[in-house]
Amino acid sequence: MSTSPSDAVPQVAAAYYDGHTAASRAVTLSIDGGDLLLQGGTVELRWPLHEVRISERLGNTPRLISHPGDGHCEVNDQAGLDKLLAQTGAGRSWLDAMQHSLPWALAALVLIVVSVAAAYRYALPWGAENLAMRLPGSVLQKMGDSTLETLDRFMLKPSKLDAARQQALSEAYARLTPPADAQLKYRIVFRSAPDVGANAFALPDGSIVMLDELVELTQDDNEIIAVLAHERGHIERRHAMRMVLQSSAVGLALAWYVGDVSSLLATAPAIIMQAKYSRDMEREADDYAAQTLQANGLSPCLLADILDKLEAAHRKAQQEEEKQAPAEPGKRNVAMDYLASHPATQERRRLLCAE
Amino acid sequence: MQEQFGQQNRSFEFTGRGWEYFKIWIVNLLLTILTLGIYSAWAKVRRLQYFYRNTRLDGASFDYHGLPKAILKGRIIAVGLLIAYNASFQISPILGIVVAVLLALVMPWLLMRSLQFKLYNSSYRGLRFGFAGDKRDAYRAFLMYPVLAAISVYLLAPLAHQRIKQYQFDNSRFGSTAFKLHATAKSFYLLYLSALAVLIGTGLLVFALAIMSGTGGGVKGLNPLFIALAPFILFAVFMVLGSVFGAYMQNLVWGNTELGPHHFYSHVSARRLLWVGVTNFIGILLTFGLFIPFAAIRMTRLKLEAMGLAVDGDLSGFIADQQLQATAAGEEAAEMFDVDISF
Repeated sequence: MSTSPSDAVPQVAAAYYDGHTAASRAVTLSIDGGDLLLQGGTVELRWPLHEVRISERLGNTPRLISHPGDGHCEVNDQAGLDKLLAQTGAGRSWLDAMQHSLPWALAALVLIVVSVAAAYRYALPWGAENLAMRLPGSVLQKMGDSTLETLDRFMLKPSKLDAARQQALSEAYARLTPPADAQLKYRIVFRSAPDVGANAFALPDGSIVMLDELVELTQDDNEIIAVLAHERGHIERRHAMRMVLQSSAVGLALAWYVGDVSSLLATAPAIIMQAKYSRDMEREADDYAAQTLQANGLSPCLLADILDKLEAAHRKAQQEEEKQAPAEPGKRNVAMDYLASHPATQERRRLLCAE
Repeated sequence: MQEQFGQQNRSFEFTGRGWEYFKIWIVNLLLTILTLGIYSAWAKVRRLQYFYRNTRLDGASFDYHGLPKAILKGRIIAVGLLIAYNASFQISPILGIVVAVLLALVMPWLLMRSLQFKLYNSSYRGLRFGFAGDKRDAYRAFLMYPVLAAISVYLLAPLAHQRIKQYQFDNSRFGSTAFKLHATAKSFYLLYLSALAVLIGTGLLVFALAIMSGTGGGVKGLNPLFIALAPFILFAVFMVLGSVFGAYMQNLVWGNTELGPHHFYSHVSARRLLWVGVTNFIGILLTFGLFIPFAAIRMTRLKLEAMGLAVDGDLSGFIADQQLQATAAGEEAAEMFDVDISF
């Protein structure tokens, strides 16, 4: 058989390594029937095509053609190899095509954004709710204890409320039906935090931190009960735990994306203090509060009343602060706004006093 | 550099390109998200293959052979350990400490297995790399020296670092040829002390500037501008120092490494490392991470192309490790080198 001109039989230059030494030998590859031929210098090899492994295309990197136990070839001529392989009828995989096309890259980008947004909007709250509702009481206790401990150390001061009022509120809260879920400990933790302003928030274990500043807003204990009923709504639906789980998941995903894993659960106190519940969560808690108040012979409007007072108090505090220190850099208004993420107070009043 | 007869400098070449890698990266990211992270093992193999095959020395490229399933197994172990570690501290501090101690005890072994996996699955010119380190030395390097460093208030940290590098390099093989690290503990100490001196000096300088430009009265009269800028100053200092330290460390380690009769050289420039580091950081920030693949390509190119091998004669003299070669063919290898906890 005579050697034909190069355009008749496609050939590709390659470097052959036998796998025993690092010596490189120049060969040419060609296809003969069902075999791959390697020829050059002292090398004369015939590899059955079905036993040959050809590495997938990866950018413009050399393709590696190997035959188990017999070494491998490195091919830099991508186009030449494609032409050679075209004879064998080997197609490209879908992944190969995807990885090398700009339209696919852009489509992937869009799909990533869409799936991340969908996961954040739907899968994350759903997963967090399911997990939170199934967590054993002991885990909630631990979370509650450690959160309160951290808050006590950094933000909260002992309550100055007189013992009789504390007792009265605690007893009124204990009488609130429906009775407590056995998994949780229903109690009020009285604290003071002048920097924070009027506020109350639920801990994962069922405790409600009630700040003096809120109690002092009203003489009507029933309005405090309305706030407690709202917070109990957050507790029953495990909102605090759900928020912790959600932001832990977001933190984990971010850490993985940025490639830096740092402590995750340490952020729990910050999350609970910020208490940026979603509007859905607030509505759930409001609905719960309305039902609870009605079941206890109280008007759901009470919650709307105390919300108005809260809003007024916070507005006043903000104005005073701005008057005292007009936009001083470095010292931001640390008062977390109990109302910031809450649906507009007007709207809530309408829903609460609807009946 | 002293030119000996028959000795030629061969620089590493890196041919990876940003847009090309971006396309691979984004498809990998999509598939990883859609499979809830499972595909990340396959993505890692593609990423390493892209970088290895784009790395050339003397006309030949490197290759990576890790099996995604082994990597997936390693990742499941790593995630399990991370969860166990975090959860145990939530349950009780004592349990947390117990788990932390257990983790510290298995970590050297896992690191050793990871090195074995990584090197065994790397090849060049048809020969596999290998790792011959044993368990006893792994525990010395990854547990004993770090513990000594910690209890000596980090006076022994440079020594510990040098011992870890020595364990990694001296046990690495290309075919049957061993690597040898000549960088001494003394040279590590010099590098660490210089970095510390620069850090303290910069700190004092910034502090002095803050006091001088302040309202007087010592610490209380610090210029508020400096207090507001403190995190940025700190970030800038660590960025600069990190780049300089990184460059000198690479040059120290690779500039003192031999492979048989050949020796490596490394002249990565701290100034360029800083430039690429800062621009990468800004790029990633401004593009919400889409610049990550471009950043990886730029950084790899800078670090690799500053390195090379002073080749004595030529590179065809290496031969395969017979023992490795024997097991590599069989399924035994898959079981021997099955863990990779590195990410």
